[in-house]
Amino acid sequence: MSSISELYDVCWEEMRDKLRKWREENYRNSEQIVDVGEELINEHASKLGDDVWIIYEQVMIAALDCSRDDLAWSCLQELKRQFPDSHRVKRLAGMRLEALERYEDANKLYDSILQDDPTNTVTRKRKISILQAQGKSSEAIRELNEYLEQFVGDQEAWHELSELYINEHDYAKAAFCLEELMMTNPHNHLYCEQYAEVKYTQGGLENLELARKYFAQALKLNNRNMRALFGLYMSASHIAASPKVSAKVKKDNVKYAAWATSQISRAYQVRGTQECTLGVFPVRLEDSCHTLLMEPPLL
Amino acid sequence: MAGPELLLDSSIRLWVVLPIVFITFFVGVLRHYVTQLIHNEKKVDLQQVSDSQVLLRSRILRENGKYLPKQSFAMRKHYFNNPETGFFKKVKRKVIPKNPMTDTSMLTDMMKGNLTNVLPMILIGGWINWAFSGFVTTKVPFPLTLRFKPMLQRGIELISLDASWVSSASWYFLNVFGLRSMYTLILGQDNAADQSRIMQDQMTGAAMAMPPDPNKAFKSEWEALEIVEHKWALENVEEELMCQDLNFRGLFS
Repeated sequence: MSSISELYDVCWEEMRDKLRKWREENYRNSEQIVDVGEELINEHASKLGDDVWIIYEQVMIAALDCSRDDLAWSCLQELKRQFPDSHRVKRLAGMRLEALERYEDANKLYDSILQDDPTNTVTRKRKISILQAQGKSSEAIRELNEYLEQFVGDQEAWHELSELYINEHDYAKAAFCLEELMMTNPHNHLYCEQYAEVKYTQGGLENLELARKYFAQALKLNNRNMRALFGLYMSASHIAASPKVSAKVKKDNVKYAAWATSQISRAYQVRGTQECTLGVFPVRLEDSCHTLLMEPPLL
Repeated sequence: MAGPELLLDSSIRLWVVLPIVFITFFVGVLRHYVTQLIHNEKKVDLQQVSDSQVLLRSRILRENGKYLPKQSFAMRKHYFNNPETGFFKKVKRKVIPKNPMTDTSMLTDMMKGNLTNVLPMILIGGWINWAFSGFVTTKVPFPLTLRFKPMLQRGIELISLDASWVSSASWYFLNVFGLRSMYTLILGQDNAADQSRIMQDQMTGAAMAMPPDPNKAFKSEWEALEIVEHKWALENVEEELMCQDLNFRGLFS
């Protein structure tokens, strides 16, 4: 089996830089990391200098993803030898135990870290992910809520909580979490769009209006967000179709829906598809949108 | 007094001005590393971290609340500012004023700070004053009054000399403050060789991560949040969006 450097004709510096890029941009391509990292560690460890430790950490986590316990164990040993009393290394040991499904041992380890350092946020989040792995979602939600009471600024945690609530179909609370995210990142179109989708799923005239507004905002932030465009069309047409609205609102929404349709057909034209006619569109859109978005609205 | 310009021996430049610059610089770098060696990890208090994040959230609510629906904004404002159950009204932190004389950790910190910063400055300043005395080193580019003469012209007893001509000790002090940006360049931000910042810290009192009185911070945040109005940024978003076609450039690349 030829090595990466022969296959792709790269030298070790390029491999190291690639690993750094993946690390900084939070990629989760674990198999690639394992391949590149393993070779880098085995052949060129001495040339890496102090970088080698963070590469050990990165490769170890990727190895846990790929069930390569042998590689994970050897990385952990090296790190333990170099940093014997480190919380960070202990947490990695805990992650390995989690990967082996030895949840009790992992929990004990994390508790010992937290006793030493109660502000260690990463360890607390690992404990919550153990609960998630065991399928205890209501307990995970409870723990995550307590965590967020203390660390209100942790955006990763808010996002995780919103996903947990969506899985439990508790859309109101999921919307709250997404509002936190929107507040801290007002220019992120994905949060706006997710919020709008949750509102759309909740249903009801007010929520549909909110959904339409936030789909529009997501589009304003990023013109190319097709999901938001479809969402805008859906929410506008459902409001227009509702019997309880006034004539003016109906007219406005029909206008919005028509505009959305024209933009969608423009996008398809840009793509170069020939068979789009405006008559066929609304039906096709309904089909595709109902699969895209979560549930039919409850009007 | 604008007398005739003095012409200094160029060996002054070679053997006095430049060596003082180098000495100051390297002593600063040495100070930075020594401080890092004897510096001990500050223990972070969970309560403080939590409080600072809450304050941050309240500030963000004030700034970006206009992107939230009216009701959500009202809900959060209510959470913080409600007269009975609001966070800023209800939560009072116990503040133990830290007396510098009795609090041991602060005492040792102060001593270490003095040792690494003030002591070298005094020693080296004194040595330079002794070693490079009796002649004029450089001229400051702006005119100074006669009051500065005894301070800046140690060792040179000339009544008629312009106060802009200074001795080597003042050149040394000029360097200590001037090389600050050089340290930032080489040692990165937040380095321990930054003398003036340390002096500023000492002047403003105990410098901690959070203001020593979280209650005051809460009160000011409460006031700031009270006066904020919700002006929804999404009021006319559809109209704004639809006045022009969407830009699909790069969508299918």
